Amino acid sequence: MDVTFSTKKYSGPVRKTVHVLSSDPQNSSSPLQVAALVGAPPDSIVFTSGATESDNLALLGAARAGRTRGRHVVTSRTEHKAVIDACRQLEREGFEVTWLRPGPDGRIAPAQVEDALRPDTLIVSVMHGNNEIGVVNDVAAIGAACRARGVLLHVDAAQGVGKLPVDVVAWDADLVAFTAHKLGGPKGVGALYVRPKPRPALQPLQFGGGHERGYRSGTLATHQIVGFGLACELAGADLSAEEARVRALRERLWAALQTAGDVWRNGGAGPSLPGILNVGFAGIEGESLLWALEGSVLASSGSACSSASAEPSYVLKALGLSDLGCQASLRLSLGRWTRQEDVDRAAEALLGAVARLRSLAPAGVLERIR
Amino acid sequence: MTARYAEEVRRLGAQPAHAGDPAPGPGSVVAGESAAPERGAWVRFAARIVDGTVEEARFRAWGCPHVVAACELAASRLEGHPLGGAQGLSAAALAPALGVPAEKWGRLLVIEDALAALAAAPATSK
Repeated sequence: MDVTFSTKKYSGPVRKTVHVLSSDPQNSSSPLQVAALVGAPPDSIVFTSGATESDNLALLGAARAGRTRGRHVVTSRTEHKAVIDACRQLEREGFEVTWLRPGPDGRIAPAQVEDALRPDTLIVSVMHGNNEIGVVNDVAAIGAACRARGVLLHVDAAQGVGKLPVDVVAWDADLVAFTAHKLGGPKGVGALYVRPKPRPALQPLQFGGGHERGYRSGTLATHQIVGFGLACELAGADLSAEEARVRALRERLWAALQTAGDVWRNGGAGPSLPGILNVGFAGIEGESLLWALEGSVLASSGSACSSASAEPSYVLKALGLSDLGCQASLRLSLGRWTRQEDVDRAAEALLGAVARLRSLAPAGVLERIR
Repeated sequence: MTARYAEEVRRLGAQPAHAGDPAPGPGSVVAGESAAPERGAWVRFAARIVDGTVEEARFRAWGCPHVVAACELAASRLEGHPLGGAQGLSAAALAPALGVPAEKWGRLLVIEDALAALAAAPATSK
């Protein structure tokens, strides 16, 4: 695709500048490309520095703007830190947050959200796809429940946009956060969908110029937005085929790993992101497994960090896993560039490492470390 | 994120020559174990004693690479000495030898406990 950069309006009005920078101002400008991928009108897209900023703008902005109407927020324990920490900030500001616990499958049931709603509930924030275990929530049903009660719905969709079909209008969402680098675009740019009608009240987090319709002042990173737009267009072009391909590879990997025995899948069956597989190996210590995989497989363990003070993953803990079960768990991610030979090589490396580590361990670990 | 490991940890942990159980042979076998997975280590040492000297020492371990390397080092230091007579087996001695970070020293104490259990264990088999 041919992209022409223009410097003539580099410091000019933001929205026009973005259009100028796109390859086809009429049909494929960056806002159009980004909006099209999530089924949104172009003027509903606010560009940010990434999903973290989008989540913060959505939650802090909506809560602060609506604090005279209510001070109750509903979210889940398995949200991304960008949502969790924003909600903790709201607690410090006097809001009350209900932290929903997912079911054993890792999902938040719409009925849970409905039950948590109160007359003073301002906003619900539930993620689309979970970044650690890959489960996908039924955000459309959650959106319907929120709409029926006049409560705002914010969705962190950073993991799902570009991987699964997303239609923010069908979700009945008011605010949806996503980011470029999760779908192959550049780091440092993201977007917040802000429902156009009725438009939710949103107090900006930064001031100075009134860019992005006053929601997000500051000169935009135009080159990154161009990249974001192109990435969205590319992701959307073969979304279904790519989803099916990656999902099939993931299932191939899972089938291979099960031959290790005493292995479980965190998140289990049901709707899921195509490229995330979170598996636990009984009797395995996560840091040693990661070390054994060095040079062959890049993965992350169920501990937030591999130092001695490693905290078990709060997502896995929320599923009911023990600390040791968390530590024995590994998240494997597949993507656009993953090929079958990569999966087969990863499975071979993992099976070898697991067998070796189990052979090193004292008797009894398989029963206790799970 | 993978922690950084000293070269000695990488060398000992990658190919631990003393992993496993003592091979059948002359003398008697003693074993000592300490299981504290919540603290990050579960280790078992076994030694074949011949004429009052550790002829062969072996270990099994569940833990991070520092734990595995420390067990390998400790097992190698056990050999050739009377049980309880080897030096350099304490957590304080193992930590600097392997560059074990302070936050992991508790895991070395689990190893120390297993070695103490080994030294106190009665011979259980030939």
